[in-house]
Amino acid sequence: MADETFRLRVAYRKDGRLAYLGHLEVINTVERSIRRSGLPFSVGNGFARRMRVQFSQALPVGAFSEGEYYDLVLEEEVDTHEALELLKAASPSALGPYRAAYVPRRGPALEAWLNRSLWQVEIHGEELSADAVSEGIAAVKEAGKIDFMRGDKPRTIETVTTLVSWEATQEAWGVALALETRSSNLGALRPAVLLDAAFGTEALAGAVRSSQRVCRSGQWHEENGRLVEPFDANFTWSLT
Amino acid sequence: MRLPRQDRYAELEPLLAKVEHPARYLDHEWGAVEQQDGPFHVCMIYADAYEVGQPNLGIAILYNELNAAEGISCERCYLPWVDMSALMREAGVPLLSLETSSPVASFDVVGFTLAHEMIATNIVETLDLAGIPIRAEDRDEDDAIIFAGGPSAWNCEPLCAMFDAVLLGDGEGEIVEAAQAVRDARAAGATRAEVLKALSKVRGVYVPSLYDVVVDETSTRWGYAVPKPGADVPEVVYKRCIPDLSVTDPVPQKMVPYMGIVQDRLAIEVLRGCARGCRFCQAGMTYRPVRERPLEQVVDAAEQGLRTTGYDEVSLSSLSTTDHSQCEQILLRLDERLRGKGVRVSIPSQRLDSFGVDMAAAVSGSRRGGLTFAPEAGTQRLRDVINKNVTEDDLERAARNAFELGWRRMKLYFMMGLPTETDDDVLAITAAARRVLEIGREVVGRGYKSGVSVSVSVSVFVPKCFTPFQWCGQLPIDEVRRRQDLMIRANRDRDIHISYHDAQVSVVEAALSKMGRAGFELVYGAWQRGCRFDAWTDQFKYEQWLEAGRAMGIDLEELAAEPYDLEARLPWEHTSPGVSKGFLKREWRRAAEGVTTSDCTMTSCVGCGVCPALGVDNHIEGDRHGR
Repeated sequence: MADETFRLRVAYRKDGRLAYLGHLEVINTVERSIRRSGLPFSVGNGFARRMRVQFSQALPVGAFSEGEYYDLVLEEEVDTHEALELLKAASPSALGPYRAAYVPRRGPALEAWLNRSLWQVEIHGEELSADAVSEGIAAVKEAGKIDFMRGDKPRTIETVTTLVSWEATQEAWGVALALETRSSNLGALRPAVLLDAAFGTEALAGAVRSSQRVCRSGQWHEENGRLVEPFDANFTWSLT
Repeated sequence: MRLPRQDRYAELEPLLAKVEHPARYLDHEWGAVEQQDGPFHVCMIYADAYEVGQPNLGIAILYNELNAAEGISCERCYLPWVDMSALMREAGVPLLSLETSSPVASFDVVGFTLAHEMIATNIVETLDLAGIPIRAEDRDEDDAIIFAGGPSAWNCEPLCAMFDAVLLGDGEGEIVEAAQAVRDARAAGATRAEVLKALSKVRGVYVPSLYDVVVDETSTRWGYAVPKPGADVPEVVYKRCIPDLSVTDPVPQKMVPYMGIVQDRLAIEVLRGCARGCRFCQAGMTYRPVRERPLEQVVDAAEQGLRTTGYDEVSLSSLSTTDHSQCEQILLRLDERLRGKGVRVSIPSQRLDSFGVDMAAAVSGSRRGGLTFAPEAGTQRLRDVINKNVTEDDLERAARNAFELGWRRMKLYFMMGLPTETDDDVLAITAAARRVLEIGREVVGRGYKSGVSVSVSVSVFVPKCFTPFQWCGQLPIDEVRRRQDLMIRANRDRDIHISYHDAQVSVVEAALSKMGRAGFELVYGAWQRGCRFDAWTDQFKYEQWLEAGRAMGIDLEELAAEPYDLEARLPWEHTSPGVSKGFLKREWRRAAEGVTTSDCTMTSCVGCGVCPALGVDNHIEGDRHGR
């Protein structure tokens, strides 16, 4: 039987106080917003009868974002403008949707498909030097991996493929860092983990951060060295 | 000293990255009232972590009532977890409200809900973190007026040194009148003492500072409270009672939290009160009479609440939901309206009979998780003593019915240390579990693959005020442990899992339930020794509680086990939920004789005294007779 459902891709921000929500909290909040919107969402046939919605990769607690995404399966095709307005009206403004469009119903899961991120990081500290930050990050990349703790569990992330590029700029308040990362089924590099490791290197010995603000400014799919926009209408998904 | 009202979120924000679950402190939840213009400001506090306090229906009701009142705004506050409170103290940030991040010490009125006894030290901690003097008598003229109320207000004496006023009974209406009394008195330039006097004129409001405690030969060692000479306050303050639940907002819960909370679903209160008359149950005595919400209102409220909140589960909450005379029709109607929307309906308590099982089946669809029953005692004799009107046959029929309908896991709740309990009663708990398991094996089959199992959860009986067991002592802790051991040893089946409550927590709970006003020294002493979040197993510090007791010359374990004379004047008798002492005494005698008392909503009046005392009546929508 033909699948007569529709896959609506929605882009939303995460800012203000809600930057401190964890990924599960974001998922719950978005799902409740969708229910409030009254859109004809599709419900899965599993034991738990969950709404059919997929999210892009988890954003760390405390990180802001200008571009997060979810794909929502609808039972009926609703005009995208109308759907977006309904979602906006039903969502907390700090998780506000700003763009929606239909994408092919069948295709890879969003979380795995959007595998490239651009981050803007503000590292505050009066004495911080952009060169030192850059050197510290280079040393971490050179080391090939970072061993770190998440809660009380030891974790390792390799840095050769996950850290794509970085550019540190000197500012009056500290250092502005633009960071490009790549995720795979082996994991995703979080800016805070990278910076913690960088500040442990010789280049940044004794350097003090008073605070840092992490914001994901974009996400893409990388294929054959090309970056594909999440809403790219010309991109044909490989369904094999 | 009153702090200035100003938004201090900027001081809190740098701490968020350093604590567990920062979502506890964010506010801006969907449905929160952002407009907080006042000019009279109230802050309602549930003195526990956000995820425990946020689902509280009482706070939600009062929050809406106050925000709807002209010229009054209401915000919320929860007690920051230990990591955050340590950071706040270090950074010099006082306790802040959620909606506007204003210091709690800047509010006109601060209200606490007394959800249970073990919240006691959290209230001290809350006031301290807020920078409000802990004892009411130490407060300045312009300090906030501190209210308290809620299910555990019935013996508020050990805590009332911290409260300016205690609101008894249903908060609807009462909270607004009390806030208005403070506002009007303040506007008229009244002194703090005059404000309290004005509060004492509001029906259902008890002002502790206007009562003296007298200890004499007619009382227990904790004495009893009488109006101060010339105070012009009632000898007994009766609770407020809403006669008809249908005039209240059926969907008070408008706020949707961001983080997972303990009851993460929409709750519709389908009825208030329970007249089953279980003799250990304080709520069963203090929430009388029974008032049912009409069928259509429940169904419309569920539908509307789900639409406006976005929840995917609705709970029909009450003390005994399946007793609602229209329960079956409510569930059928909900099923019709919510089908295909991926929404679950849940009932928090199951009646121990086939009707209860049928209702559980009606809400669970094809899902069959665990099914819970509460026989409370193992033998018929003891069930008669506690007036739990269920029989062995009821349990067996309900279990058989449940296994036949597809359930495989059964959970049974019991209590240990009930009055007159013997070893035979204790052993009967394990025997009842074995019988239920055996029925399951008969119906489903034997062997590991059948998946049949029985979980038994055994709490320790705590004698509560305004119950027929209020005169009892708690079973001594060593004896509780011996009986727990006896019960565990009697179980040899690996498909029966027995868990029991920590007897030490129950000792503290019992002590706080029995004490009078002087008991505040225990609470304060325990807090000084680091006790807080006592309801959290990993935070509870028994030795510190015992030490605090020793410091005031009290052996807590002895106190918990101390019975009171039936004729003694008790520390809480100057407040009343309406149930008469004569009825409680009669029920105590009937318990001793093993004679049961029926439910007045299903038979006829049993003379508890609530209806004449409060001028109300049971409000039943359909017919409960013969059920």
